[in-house]
Amino acid sequence: MNVDVNAIFQIAGIGIVIAMIHTVLKQMGKEDMAHWVTLIGFVVVLFMVVSMLNDLFKEIKTIFLFQ
Amino acid sequence: MIKLIGALCIVFAGTMLGFYRALQLSERPRQIRQSILCLQRLETEIVYGITPLPEALKIIAGTAAGPLRTLFGLASRELEENGGGSVQEAWEQALKAAWSHTSMKQAEKDVFLQLGMTLGISDRDDQTKHLRLAVRQLQAEEAAAADDQKRYGGMWRSLGLLAGVLIVILMY
Repeated sequence: MNVDVNAIFQIAGIGIVIAMIHTVLKQMGKEDMAHWVTLIGFVVVLFMVVSMLNDLFKEIKTIFLFQ
Repeated sequence: MIKLIGALCIVFAGTMLGFYRALQLSERPRQIRQSILCLQRLETEIVYGITPLPEALKIIAGTAAGPLRTLFGLASRELEENGGGSVQEAWEQALKAAWSHTSMKQAEKDVFLQLGMTLGISDRDDQTKHLRLAVRQLQAEEAAAADDQKRYGGMWRSLGLLAGVLIVILMY
């Protein structure tokens, strides 16, 4: 449980920092860069979520398939 | 504990990187302005002082500061040492050696290289024309560099800190 809460905080932190970087880049007129940064941040978070989902499915497998 | 120290180190390094980029951005217009002054002084030396080029370059190196001093000093020494070579060769050698110490970019280097092609091979009027042309090009570059500094200086400062924080969060 402890680890899970940490991961949520990590994702929240990434979101905040990415949002700030996006704002800074957008204000300086580099909107294409801002969008790239947001996209890369999204992909990184997606990878983290996918690995956690992987753990979840493994748990479900061990529970229902007795394997 | 060690994790925390490492995180602080990364944040500090990111911030310093941002500040370094901002510093370079603010150095560039200043150095362009200084090189404009140097070229105008060179024009005076050529037109009114009628000083030979190696000595004129040495005088200018004496009055300039920082990396420009290195640049003009090297050009002067190159000219004195390889007596057979052309001014252009010496000038290019000096530029190649000293350019990495300056904060200026390729556009300014091109102006300097173009100047080197015409320096010391024609009469005073022609050289004056070329020096004035170089000064005018550098003035345009200076305006662009000042604009860049105003726009991107703050951005680099905050971006460095934010990038450091992001790396720390990703690795924590």
